[in-house]
Amino acid sequence: MASIEMERKNDASPLGAITAAMKRIGISPLGLVLLVVVALLPLIPPFNQEHMVRWLIMGAFLAAQAIAFDFTAGYINVVNFGFAALLGLGAYTSAILANKSPVLMVQPGLSPWIGIWIGAIVAGLVGLGLGWLTLRLRGIFAAVMAWFVGIALMGLVRNLTPLTRGPLGMNPSSLLNTTANLPYYYIILIMMLAVYVSLRLVTESHYGLAFKAIGQNLDAARASGINPTRYRVFNFALSSLFAGWLGGFYAHYYGSLTPQTLMHTSKTVEVLALVYIGGRGSMWGGMFIAFPFVFFIEYLRSNLTELPGLHLVIYGLLMVLVMILYPDGLAGLYNWAVEKIKGLGNSG
Amino acid sequence: MKEQSSLGSTLVKKLTGNLAATIVVGTTLVLAVVIGVEGGPSQVINSIVTGGMWALLAVGLALVFGVMNVPHFAHGESFMVGAYVAYFVFNPIHTSLKENPNTFLGVTAPFLAMLAAAVAGLILGVILERLLFYPLRLKTKSGWVMNAFLLTVGISFILTNGTTLTLGPNFRGIPRYWDVPPLQVGSVRVAVDRIIAFFIAIISIVALWFFLRQTRTGRAIRAVSQDELGAQMMGINLNFIYPLTFALATAMAALSGASLLFMFQAYPTVGLKPLYFAWYVVMLAGLGNVVGAIVGGFIVAVLQSATQLFTFTVTVLGHEFQIGGIAWEDVIPTFVMIIVLLVVPSGIFGSEVKGVQEQ
Amino acid sequence: MLQLKNLDASYGFLQILWDVSLHIADGEFVGLIGPNGAGKTTTLRTIAGLLKPMKGEVLFKGHKMNTVPAHETTRMGISYISEDLNLFVDMSVRENLLMGAYIVRDQQKQLETLDFVYELFPRLKEREGQLAGTMSGGERKMLAIARGMMSNPLLLLVDEPSLGLAPHLVTDVFKSLRRLQETGVTLMLVEQRVNATLEITDRAYVMEQGRIVMEGPSSELMTNEHVKAAYLGI
Repeated sequence: MASIEMERKNDASPLGAITAAMKRIGISPLGLVLLVVVALLPLIPPFNQEHMVRWLIMGAFLAAQAIAFDFTAGYINVVNFGFAALLGLGAYTSAILANKSPVLMVQPGLSPWIGIWIGAIVAGLVGLGLGWLTLRLRGIFAAVMAWFVGIALMGLVRNLTPLTRGPLGMNPSSLLNTTANLPYYYIILIMMLAVYVSLRLVTESHYGLAFKAIGQNLDAARASGINPTRYRVFNFALSSLFAGWLGGFYAHYYGSLTPQTLMHTSKTVEVLALVYIGGRGSMWGGMFIAFPFVFFIEYLRSNLTELPGLHLVIYGLLMVLVMILYPDGLAGLYNWAVEKIKGLGNSG
Repeated sequence: MKEQSSLGSTLVKKLTGNLAATIVVGTTLVLAVVIGVEGGPSQVINSIVTGGMWALLAVGLALVFGVMNVPHFAHGESFMVGAYVAYFVFNPIHTSLKENPNTFLGVTAPFLAMLAAAVAGLILGVILERLLFYPLRLKTKSGWVMNAFLLTVGISFILTNGTTLTLGPNFRGIPRYWDVPPLQVGSVRVAVDRIIAFFIAIISIVALWFFLRQTRTGRAIRAVSQDELGAQMMGINLNFIYPLTFALATAMAALSGASLLFMFQAYPTVGLKPLYFAWYVVMLAGLGNVVGAIVGGFIVAVLQSATQLFTFTVTVLGHEFQIGGIAWEDVIPTFVMIIVLLVVPSGIFGSEVKGVQEQ
Repeated sequence: MLQLKNLDASYGFLQILWDVSLHIADGEFVGLIGPNGAGKTTTLRTIAGLLKPMKGEVLFKGHKMNTVPAHETTRMGISYISEDLNLFVDMSVRENLLMGAYIVRDQQKQLETLDFVYELFPRLKEREGQLAGTMSGGERKMLAIARGMMSNPLLLLVDEPSLGLAPHLVTDVFKSLRRLQETGVTLMLVEQRVNATLEITDRAYVMEQGRIVMEGPSSELMTNEHVKAAYLGI
């Protein structure tokens, strides 16, 4: 199936044991090398400039979202169109809990380090509800329903002004007491890895098989004894939990939140485009492509300021082209190449 | 003629013996009366005008889903294109009319603008279908509905941001099409623009209905929506029906955008709200159900009016939360929708679509 | 009229037809018999243009039909009545029949054919305004056959018309096919009821496991030992 790990013969050497262990959590030797590169990148010029580090943070943030999104879209084949709203829910929850300013109705003044987790749980619970709500609906209906719920959530955040300051937005406190970006980068990188490894572990278990079965043919899955309800709800909840968690990071890193910039449908579409270009159902495709993408797009944005929105047009174009010309995306291309090389090796 | 399936009789047929639909339609009527009492007849007229427009948009969505199995997410962008085309046609004429007034041109210029928008919609529809859906259909072996949906998401993204890129994010609009005083209907004064927009919606829907029922090509469109293979066996060319259907739907959305220019204005993301409400209508009524979409349009408009009209304040810890009002029009209807769909997952009129079973 | 030359056809990776060759002369009534899964329906679908052959040739009136799409084959005069019927369930009987005459642009001609099929199936005339989806199985079958005639085809391909029909209706259906032949239509009939088929057709092919294993005049096949043993249960 679509995954980064390469087939390896079981050798008894310590190296072999490590590779096997890494493989279990979905990291191939090549993946490991790339991870190390990404981790060391902000230490190497020219990437050590502050704005580049910010781009890297954005890349890791998007990459982590792509993994959580793909967990639903690529496995149970339901596009969670309210994904950004759930992310925003986590962000707002954490931000409200951390609030000390008397401008807002409540001042719990909770540490963001705790608030992030509560935000994740709240988003996860709403995701649980959303999964339950959409489980009777098939593919497209579920997507549209999730979209509606997302719009309603965004509307709630916008309208409950005493809590959220509405469209004015909030300025939540920072996670760290520093103006440097580098520590944040390692935090989000660890979060990204955590999302990847935990969701990988889930999909490698019997859950993964059940998800795929449900995604491919709901009725056949049901007929073979899989209870779609349980798996779909679980999937939605887990994906939303991570969305909320990542939202918390966003709130306490950028220190600025508005419903429009965080919860809008177009934010979901950005992640969706990444996942599709990277290759749906691969988990790593969207993650891999997020980094170069952010650099490309931020470069365009900062150098072509007279053309606002060009990067989004390119986003959309790429997504449409991939859908029409190569529906398997980058991960599909990679798997095809691996098969080819293997084929050459076997025949040669 | 044996086919006496008028719009009205089809509607009655759909309502009888359908408890969910009867309850929802009945509640809506009661709500409309309450709105009339509380907010005055102008509120009711407003809901009717808006309802007509949502119906026109939703019919396009239903048609595209029913015939092509495409859950159209870029329908709002057709609305947007229509609004822009109407603006760019109408505005120069309007400016020149200020210098040399001409009554005939003053009356017809708005229609000219709307016609231009509809034609632009037709062309855009054909181009999109041939350029994007046709190759996707060749590529897709399974999961067509989801793939098509995502394709329309991409189209929407490109059209919205492409418009920002070329025309900028600013609003372009007109205060009104016709410089005439509002019409006195009973005790209410209604802007002529609104009345005409309503009639354009109704006439378009009736014309579409007639086209689908009584013409050879219209029947072919219905045939494709009921049995694609059977339609091909009758000699119907899908490569003619698909672009035609998509063009019709796009043109209808563009026409709504044009006729509502005075209300919505033209800007890149103007289509989001119409899209949202049109989807809301078809989900409520049942996807692919054209008659249901018409009723649904009015139901949603009434719900929207009610949300705007009835506001109340809740005080928590000394802070006032205002519930209701225009900012809530995407929140409260959603909760209503969730409740309805929990009871009847395929909409109050059910779905008549081949593709609903597909993932 | 029709000729198949060394036809191979498949669904995905599964090859169904192997080197199938057959021919039908103008005005002939030809049967295609064989067990379930022998490839009879696949043969008809390939002729109707619903399935593209992998190898070999389909010739209709001398035109190579291999890549002609289904809606074009109808326009050229091939009408296919499928086993699934493919009726338009939310249309009335009359609308279904008019859809059958979609390629006939002459309204007068359409109405003439309509009268003709109503005469063949009076029951359809009684039910003219009823929705196809609300009819009984037998009525649906009749409607499908009648609809297939509405395009005034040169060649009519009929797939299992007797399936799920009451015996007296089967006789009706077979009689109407015979009458159709008398009006000059060429017919190909795929059937499980071997005896009845051999009685009304001029010639027949026997298909087994995707290959034509036998052919000949129907009267001869009826006395053939293999056919008798395998299909007639004698």
